[in-house]
Amino acid sequence: MQLPESEVAVLEAANADEATPVDALAAATDLPPETVTGAAFELEEQGLVAVTERVDETISLTDEGRTYVEDGLPEVRLYEAALEAGADADPVSMGQVIGASGLEGAEVDIALSNYARKGYGAIESGEITADPDADPAADPESNALESLADEGTLEAGDVLDQLERRGLVEVAESTVREVELTEQGVTELMAGVETAETVGQVTPELLTSGEWEDVEFAEYNVEADAETVEGGRVHVLREMSERVKDVLVGMGFEEMDGPHADADFWINDCLFMPQDHPARTHWDRFALEQPTHIDELPEDLVERVERAHREGVGEDGEGYHSPWDEDFARALALRGHTTSLSTRYLSGTEIGEIEPPARYFSVEKAYRNDTLDATHLLEFYQIEGWVMAEDLSVRDLMGTFEEFYAQFGIEDIQFKPHYNPYTEPSFELFGTHPTTGELIEIGNSGIFREEMLEPLGVDCDVMAWGLALERLAMLTTGAEDIRDLHGTLADLEFLRNAEVTY
Amino acid sequence: MPTVDIDPDELRELTGREEKSDEELQEDLFGLGLEFEGWTDEDEFELEFAPDRLDRLSVEGVARSMRYQYGDSRGVHVPSTNKADWTIEVDESVPDERPYVTGAVIRDVDLDEDGLDSLIQLQEKLHATMGRKRAKGAIGIHDLTMLKGSAATEGSPTIRYVGVEPDEDRFVPLDSDAELTPAEVLEEHQTGREYADLVSEYERYPAIYDDIGLFSFPPVINGRRTEVSTDSRDLFVEMTGTDQWTIDKMLNIVCYALAARGATLEDVRVEYPDSELVRPDLSTKTKRVAHDRIETLLGIDLDPDDVIDLAERSGLDAARSEDEATSNEESSITPLEDRDGLEEPDGPADSDESNAEDAASTGDLVYEVTIPPYRVDVLHPLDVIDDLGRAYGFNDLEPRYPEVGTVGGRHERSRLERAARTQLVGLGFEDMLNFHMIDEGQNYERLGVSPGKGVYGAGEPATIKEPYSEDYTMLRTWTLPSLLQVLENNTHRAYPQHLSEVGFAAELDETENTGVGEGRHVGAVLADHEAGYEDAKARLQALARDFDVALETPATEHPSFISGRAADVVIDGEPVGVVGEIHPKVIVEHDLEVPVAAFEFDLEALR
Repeated sequence: MQLPESEVAVLEAANADEATPVDALAAATDLPPETVTGAAFELEEQGLVAVTERVDETISLTDEGRTYVEDGLPEVRLYEAALEAGADADPVSMGQVIGASGLEGAEVDIALSNYARKGYGAIESGEITADPDADPAADPESNALESLADEGTLEAGDVLDQLERRGLVEVAESTVREVELTEQGVTELMAGVETAETVGQVTPELLTSGEWEDVEFAEYNVEADAETVEGGRVHVLREMSERVKDVLVGMGFEEMDGPHADADFWINDCLFMPQDHPARTHWDRFALEQPTHIDELPEDLVERVERAHREGVGEDGEGYHSPWDEDFARALALRGHTTSLSTRYLSGTEIGEIEPPARYFSVEKAYRNDTLDATHLLEFYQIEGWVMAEDLSVRDLMGTFEEFYAQFGIEDIQFKPHYNPYTEPSFELFGTHPTTGELIEIGNSGIFREEMLEPLGVDCDVMAWGLALERLAMLTTGAEDIRDLHGTLADLEFLRNAEVTY
Repeated sequence: MPTVDIDPDELRELTGREEKSDEELQEDLFGLGLEFEGWTDEDEFELEFAPDRLDRLSVEGVARSMRYQYGDSRGVHVPSTNKADWTIEVDESVPDERPYVTGAVIRDVDLDEDGLDSLIQLQEKLHATMGRKRAKGAIGIHDLTMLKGSAATEGSPTIRYVGVEPDEDRFVPLDSDAELTPAEVLEEHQTGREYADLVSEYERYPAIYDDIGLFSFPPVINGRRTEVSTDSRDLFVEMTGTDQWTIDKMLNIVCYALAARGATLEDVRVEYPDSELVRPDLSTKTKRVAHDRIETLLGIDLDPDDVIDLAERSGLDAARSEDEATSNEESSITPLEDRDGLEEPDGPADSDESNAEDAASTGDLVYEVTIPPYRVDVLHPLDVIDDLGRAYGFNDLEPRYPEVGTVGGRHERSRLERAARTQLVGLGFEDMLNFHMIDEGQNYERLGVSPGKGVYGAGEPATIKEPYSEDYTMLRTWTLPSLLQVLENNTHRAYPQHLSEVGFAAELDETENTGVGEGRHVGAVLADHEAGYEDAKARLQALARDFDVALETPATEHPSFISGRAADVVIDGEPVGVVGEIHPKVIVEHDLEVPVAAFEFDLEALR
């Protein structure tokens, strides 16, 4: 039969009468021990050798143990100092004896705790006595340490256990493998075993010389795990955002872009949010300290928006009974929602007048000064979308959102009538969780009010909706703590292991 | 969202639906948009509601809405009021900041504990919502029998709304035994301290007097003398505020709630120095709603009778507009054009007329819709259509995909971002997504830079007025600080850690309308045992090649980088960033034990 070189060597070095340790085989074959082990297992699979394992204990001195071999055990040194001080006759002050012994730091405690245990004497109320009959030369622990230092071995037993407890010796276990020829191995050897030439790596020389035709390729353990590779990868939340953008572009939506730090005018006033609305005066807004106000707003638009707030829109419209102040509208804040982009686009100031029909979207950051916890961040991505057309109905709104959510496996959307200052009718959207089956809130939607659209110069219907991207991502990835995903506390391990979204 | 607590037994009693189980009630409430959140300690429903229907802030209002929902009530109901006996006289001394007052007398109330609790809750919820924490409107409810009004105006008992000096007079406030001046109330009384900010800037404090003396210090606290208890039979309700409409509406909601418990309402005269009002103002409003708009917004065809029915089930009244005659005239002309394919109308005149009527019913028909006085949320005919939709049942509508063709597409900026990110990932970077808010220490100090011009990444910050915490006080001016923080938080994870971020950065820029220059930066860090300048430069070069731009890297000094191993990133002749080996003091500052090579530049340069 033909075998790889290393296997032939091991087979020939092994013995049928007694098991040979791998180390001995390595010495005999001049191969590294791991190669011998590998070859032995290969041979065992073919039934040519038997591999047995046993566990050997090796006992070695710790650093502390080695110190005591040289200096003597602390309790012995204490005893000797005590004898010197005459403590075999009368109790002597501890301080004096310790001083004379030269023991320092932790050694003192060690000496004291072992002194009485081993019958060297007694310690009582600060005084020490020494037993004249004690014999340090016969101290079993001391002797065991010395014999370990000299001969490298030690009998198992109480003394060894005691030394191990004291941290003076270490017992290490190692596995020793031994190889023995089987009958089949002997038979094959008798019949003759040849070396097959095996090759580890396919090399350019091998290929160009044509030598590859005559060689045998060493077999690999193809089932073993390979090294971990961390390639580059797109952030899991970004993947989600890309997917949302794909879906929306596919549904005919065009993307919007605009400032993160913006005037309240665009963030709130254009949305027909009264200036004394709690959300505008409250905690959850990130007002800027520097800079404080936007330089310019379109004058005629400011006038129209103010009129809508004060007087309402249309024959039977009514405004809010709330104060309205341009300076307040010009104050800058980090946008609390990306609807500020929608108001900018709808007003015609961003890309010119938009004619119906039109669909626009953004997946951009919004900022809320809310509690920071596993499901809420100060910064989150808001998916914002709107459709502009003549005579849109609630049914069109429902149909659009059903279509959008179906793309993410969320079916059976329910529409709960809701209230937003800038939409009417308004709906909270509920959907069934794709895995748990729970009914969960997945967005907010509605048809923009005329008080919002008329000042912006829009004279047809616009329906809009929004939801947090993180919410969709948590739903579809199963992430439980949003902070693992987003921000500087991100756990690379979590991101590396996250399932790809597509 | 706000919540309101409702006793289910009271709800059953006030709706007359004793047979409803708790679960059925919860389901019916959900239909009204009142979501059951859980039970309170007093075995009441805690309901979450959207803050539009403020007439549902108490069990009486909720019960009213449910009766409409069940069909047990229909149309607008306005309680009658008796002629005014009492007068509120508004003195010229009243503080300019809080000039308005309104009021009503309520007689023959029979308040048990539950009724009193409900009234107190309604008062608190109205304060929290419409009253804007009492700043815009504040409610005081008094036991009428404890008031003594002199015959100041022709035999009518009168209370007076005035302004007083902070220490001008004394009274015993609720929850106190001591006589205090208004100024002392703000300092010493718990409620006084809570609301002190509302009036502390005033020169004169609002106060209400009867013949006996000062009995109320709005919007802070009432006097103990007129405190309402379950024994009270007649009440005086007064409200002060910064807007007459707001307090009148709050008063209407309170009046409706008490009337629902069988009380009798009585008008009050409000005498301003130059005008006189009679309150409560229970007049209704009218909105003209076009039939066509109802149909297009709901997306369904409706019979006019159905519309009227839906309105009445919403607690509204609707009638075909009296202007319908004119509408008919117009519509009798237009429909002729629509009748293509029909025979020339040569039939009898009355058939023509009926055609015109049909056209009117689906075309120019307009309803006069009456809005009851407790509604505060109907600003526009749209709001009426929303009510009709709710009564119809929005979830009964069949969704349809709008047949409107538009062309979708990505914004150029977002396409560029995606392209840069894709190339970085191909170069082996793990894409990061960090917060845009950061603090000065992280953004500047820990990188060894200070705000100012001349050093890439260290622009002047846009700062946040009231930050969530000291970790988020400004917008980041560059991305490297965030990336270094990620490295710092992941020293226990396997290396190499090659991270990149294509993300937002901002700094003060006077040339911008907002004063904030916002941009996208491409930031990258290479943290591994062998990372060096060349590794960063090599990847930078690859990006430049990918986007076909000319890259130069002249040596520079940058405090975040090792001197002699840092260069400006110059793309197509413009300095747009920095590349180099991060300085050991920055590495150690971030508790890292591996070298870090890095670059950052403006994404715009790849365009």
